[in-house]
Amino acid sequence: MFTKDIVSWIKQSRKSTKFYIFVASILFSLIIPFFLSDSLSIRVLTLMALFTIYASSWNLLATSGQGSLGHAAFLGIGGFTSSLLALNLDVPPIIGIFIGGLLSAAIGFLIGLTCVRLKAWFLGMVTFGFAVITETLVSHFDDFTYGVMGFRTAPLVPLGLPFYYLALFLAISCVISIYYIMKSKMGLAFRAIHQNELEAKMIGINTAKYKLYAFVISTFIAGLAGGLYAHFLRYIRVSIFTPANSFEPLMMSVIGGLGTIEGPIIGSIILVAIDSYLPNIDKFLPTIHGTFIGPYLRLLGLGIFLVMVVIFLPKGVSSLLRKIYKHLRSNLKEKKS
Amino acid sequence: MIYSSTLVLTIMWGAAIGCIYVLLATGLNLIFGVMKLVNFAHGELLMIGAYIGFTFATALGVNVYVAVLLSMGLVALIGIGVERLTFRRVLGSEKLNEIFVSLGLILIFDNVAVLLWGDKSKRIISPFENLSLDLGEASIRVDWLIAILIVIVILIALVFLVKKTKIGMAMQATSQRSQTSMLMGINIERIYVFTFALGAALAGAAGVLYGIIFPFNPYVGALPTIKAFAIIILGGLGSIPGAIIGGLLYGIAEQTAVITLGSIWRDAVAFTVLIIVLVLRPEGLFGKRGE
Repeated sequence: MFTKDIVSWIKQSRKSTKFYIFVASILFSLIIPFFLSDSLSIRVLTLMALFTIYASSWNLLATSGQGSLGHAAFLGIGGFTSSLLALNLDVPPIIGIFIGGLLSAAIGFLIGLTCVRLKAWFLGMVTFGFAVITETLVSHFDDFTYGVMGFRTAPLVPLGLPFYYLALFLAISCVISIYYIMKSKMGLAFRAIHQNELEAKMIGINTAKYKLYAFVISTFIAGLAGGLYAHFLRYIRVSIFTPANSFEPLMMSVIGGLGTIEGPIIGSIILVAIDSYLPNIDKFLPTIHGTFIGPYLRLLGLGIFLVMVVIFLPKGVSSLLRKIYKHLRSNLKEKKS
Repeated sequence: MIYSSTLVLTIMWGAAIGCIYVLLATGLNLIFGVMKLVNFAHGELLMIGAYIGFTFATALGVNVYVAVLLSMGLVALIGIGVERLTFRRVLGSEKLNEIFVSLGLILIFDNVAVLLWGDKSKRIISPFENLSLDLGEASIRVDWLIAILIVIVILIALVFLVKKTKIGMAMQATSQRSQTSMLMGINIERIYVFTFALGAALAGAAGVLYGIIFPFNPYVGALPTIKAFAIIILGGLGSIPGAIIGGLLYGIAEQTAVITLGSIWRDAVAFTVLIIVLVLRPEGLFGKRGE
């Protein structure tokens, strides 16, 4: 029965280009480690998969018009839950990361109750503030969390290829789930709320309910990403709550293409690649005030890039790729006819 | 006896910090009121202001309190550039875009500051560094008092500007109905630039005062911005007296939290208060119900 469904689904969607791109990118991500098999590249690829999960969770929330500025809180809650469960109760991390996701979703539900009534910038502040509060609580209850000094987390699966394929599997599952959520009635409601909350309310959408749904789903995925991240780094401390971690998924989604499925994927690939490969040229750059300017130049460039994308490419890099694709296709058709 | 002196110190220290928050919050409130723009990068203007004050005071030997004026002017110019190059282009488009642009600006300002001045902590040394006023048990640095005085003077001037001058009235009109005021012959783009520059100038002044009281580095801007927003929410959107009372209360509450609970609670307590206020009264303590 189930296989029949899949077969009919494949038959149905066989013609669409979207489907081919989807299959091609999955195949590509499956075989790429064989071409880039050095340990740094595998690490970078794993990070890309991890951040795809994290950025997609942020993006899903933004699709419902809620821009969180404190998603690191949920990343950290997921990470700490899973790591502490493994440390204290010997819960296997593969279960722990899901428990972390659930706890993160439960807390997301509570915060969401406050946030659904708020406008965009209030919400940004409350979420930002929540990340600060969580960081403080984790530092305060150091006897229980060991957050201030940090601790070594249990291994999930061996780092390298196994971890990459696990992260890839979870990333693909998340992306597919989000795709179906966005296609469902719920996704339609999210988009309606994003465009105009008042009008959405007027046509009978229970906006508070759907915004809360978005919050719970998004924080679950963020918590899951946090668990993975903690077991990937094999280390966790309170610095996981840093605002930089909150802004990362935002930048990835906006640069890739806000509110699209592929946006966070493209964004995390671009940003992780920049973060991982550009430091190689740092040593050729001069120093100012005794420090290497490379990292600062990179962040400066990132800031300029972000502002430029928002102003000139409001739909992100993915819209540019789409335009190029359309252009090529129309050229091809002209040649044929 | 010790207890009462701690109390006086807490209140004075809180008021001095609160004054800086008041300047920042008033600027943000003006920009929000007139342009309906949320600028999360406002605190970066404070940081730049602190560095400009530092440069004038140490490299050129200008008196630090004269540097306040110079910094206000220069930061206002930077504000004009920022408004014209970035915010004007996303104004009126999606609300989230303003937040994204501000985050980009935070990255740009922070890292330009690191490249120009380095990332080590700096302080502006005031000529009254070692002067303090004895009040029985407690002693208060003269610089705090001067900072409070300067803030009062700036705020009086600001209220005069907004209430009594032609451009101030135009700002009020734009904040009420931008479309209608355009029909009345107000050049609202000019009002926007002016408002943004004014807000930036307040942040510039706040920056130098901040630099006199605290050590600063290129990353000090982010938290004061969020706190200024918290103050605006506490005081009610668009209400200048609300921002002033909110700012002072906030500064004192923060210091009380530091003294009673410890310094790691400095930021968390404030946000907890903010979230509670938002849950109970989404329009702020002094804001009007509406929208």
